[in-house]
Amino acid sequence: MDEQYFHSVVLNEDRCVGCTSCLKVCPTEAIRLKEGKARIIGEKCIDCGECIRICPNHAKSAVTDSTDILKKYKYTIAIPSLVLYGQFPVNAGMDKMLTAVREIGFDEIYEASTGTEIITSVIKNCILKNPEKKRPIINSSCPATLRLIQIRFPELLPNVADIETPIEIAARLAKTEAVKKTGLSMDEIGVIFISPCTARVTSVKHPIGIKKSYVDGVLSMKEVYGMMLRNLNGKTKDKTKSTKESLLWPVTGGQGEFLGIENYLAVDGINEVIKILEQIEMDRLEGLEFFEGMACVGGCVGGPLTIENPFIARNRMRTLAKGLPNSNFSEEEIKAQIEMYENGFIRLTEPIEPRAIMRLDDDISKSIKKMEMIKEMLKNLPGIDCGVCGAPTCKAFAEDIVKGENRNGVCIVKSMKSFNKGDS
Amino acid sequence: MKDIRYVFNVEKDDFVRAGETSSKIKKILRELGIDSSIIRKISIAAYEAEMNIVIHSLGGQILLDISPGVIRITASDRGPGIADVELAMKEGYSTATDQVREMGFGAGMGLPNMKKCSDRFCVTSSEGKGTYIVIEVDLKAGE
Repeated sequence: MDEQYFHSVVLNEDRCVGCTSCLKVCPTEAIRLKEGKARIIGEKCIDCGECIRICPNHAKSAVTDSTDILKKYKYTIAIPSLVLYGQFPVNAGMDKMLTAVREIGFDEIYEASTGTEIITSVIKNCILKNPEKKRPIINSSCPATLRLIQIRFPELLPNVADIETPIEIAARLAKTEAVKKTGLSMDEIGVIFISPCTARVTSVKHPIGIKKSYVDGVLSMKEVYGMMLRNLNGKTKDKTKSTKESLLWPVTGGQGEFLGIENYLAVDGINEVIKILEQIEMDRLEGLEFFEGMACVGGCVGGPLTIENPFIARNRMRTLAKGLPNSNFSEEEIKAQIEMYENGFIRLTEPIEPRAIMRLDDDISKSIKKMEMIKEMLKNLPGIDCGVCGAPTCKAFAEDIVKGENRNGVCIVKSMKSFNKGDS
Repeated sequence: MKDIRYVFNVEKDDFVRAGETSSKIKKILRELGIDSSIIRKISIAAYEAEMNIVIHSLGGQILLDISPGVIRITASDRGPGIADVELAMKEGYSTATDQVREMGFGAGMGLPNMKKCSDRFCVTSSEGKGTYIVIEVDLKAGE
């Protein structure tokens, strides 16, 4: 696998029948059909998982670790995504769901809620109070949105909240605490994230904004769903510490709602996120303080590695949240959180670089020439974006040819006489 | 080196498609590999020009001309024209009704904004004929 462009999204060739479903939904036009199979162009993929979701043959999936990874460590800690609580019926109870995760074979369970609460607190009490920070502040928690901004909205990179994600914060705290508790070294302790999200898998292997992730492995929530389901029959051994705020965090709107501001915008679905980012980039949303962009419909509950329908999951999370206490930090605690942010422990310390992968050529004169060639080619293409040639649109087809990435492309529609009648 | 020209028609009152032209322009510039701060300036100017045609004119056209050193947006419409261009260039001056303003349009920032986003800006208009706007943004050397 190409290390430079590691992606969690992969293709199972045997299952791919070469239909064009995934071509069409890819928000960055990163898929082409070659020899009848869907190929992902590594540098364009943002790991949003739209292709996994749409594939009628389930040929797309995510590379994650297997439970064998637990054997590598002396002490293992599971951080289940909060989305876990929406995967099973409410009456199973949150405590039991945690135990179901533990019984996969972990020594300890650490809830991601600790991370979400710290983020909300730091954004509210520190980042939002900094008048120098560009508005709207954009959430850093959705890795697909972040990758999208790198590619399509580089001007908005300074707006991204420079704080780590809930999982990373939880992993840092869990590992640090476990070192103290067990006397083991960092390397002997394995922190494993149970993920609903393909882009997060990629982010663990290739972090954005930090040097190295404290997460040692990622299990797909889908993969371990069956195990958890069976474990629900056992005795409850855990007790949740989650709060109302943390349970609503992975549901669209759950981040902005608790920041104590009037003007925030929460948007889900990658294409809607793109539309709003367009407006933000052009200064059209005056006065907007915070933008919460979630690539998946419903938020993380709609992640491509979840089992339950996002709307049902969301409803369950809401129901469960009703029975939980509110998050409440003392001034001392808030001070400690801000300190962790300021000293870089939970902050994005590395610059998030723009990735100009949409450009035709590094040299602008050559770009213009190529653009002209594309424009000319488009006049002769049918413009129906059927995808049969293997490119998602006629324009993408022309681009590939001009860029030399497609040397033997044929437009089948154009070669059919019936379509050419109108031309002459 | 041959320059490229793109032509976009913009219809009066076509709010459904309003913003599409400036989005397309932005995408083209992104593909050319132009610096993103320059893209932002041009797309804001193009958006203002596009909205002006949709809201105030009888319809018109936006041209995008690309050459290695300069990007030019030319917006022309079929009328009714601006009575007092100097007045229209003042920030906050608007002919929009309160109702339109409440919807977030007609803040009187259109022309001043376009000027702010450009390196060279020119607007000519005659009542009954139409308005003609040229916006030019230079590309810095090495881009």
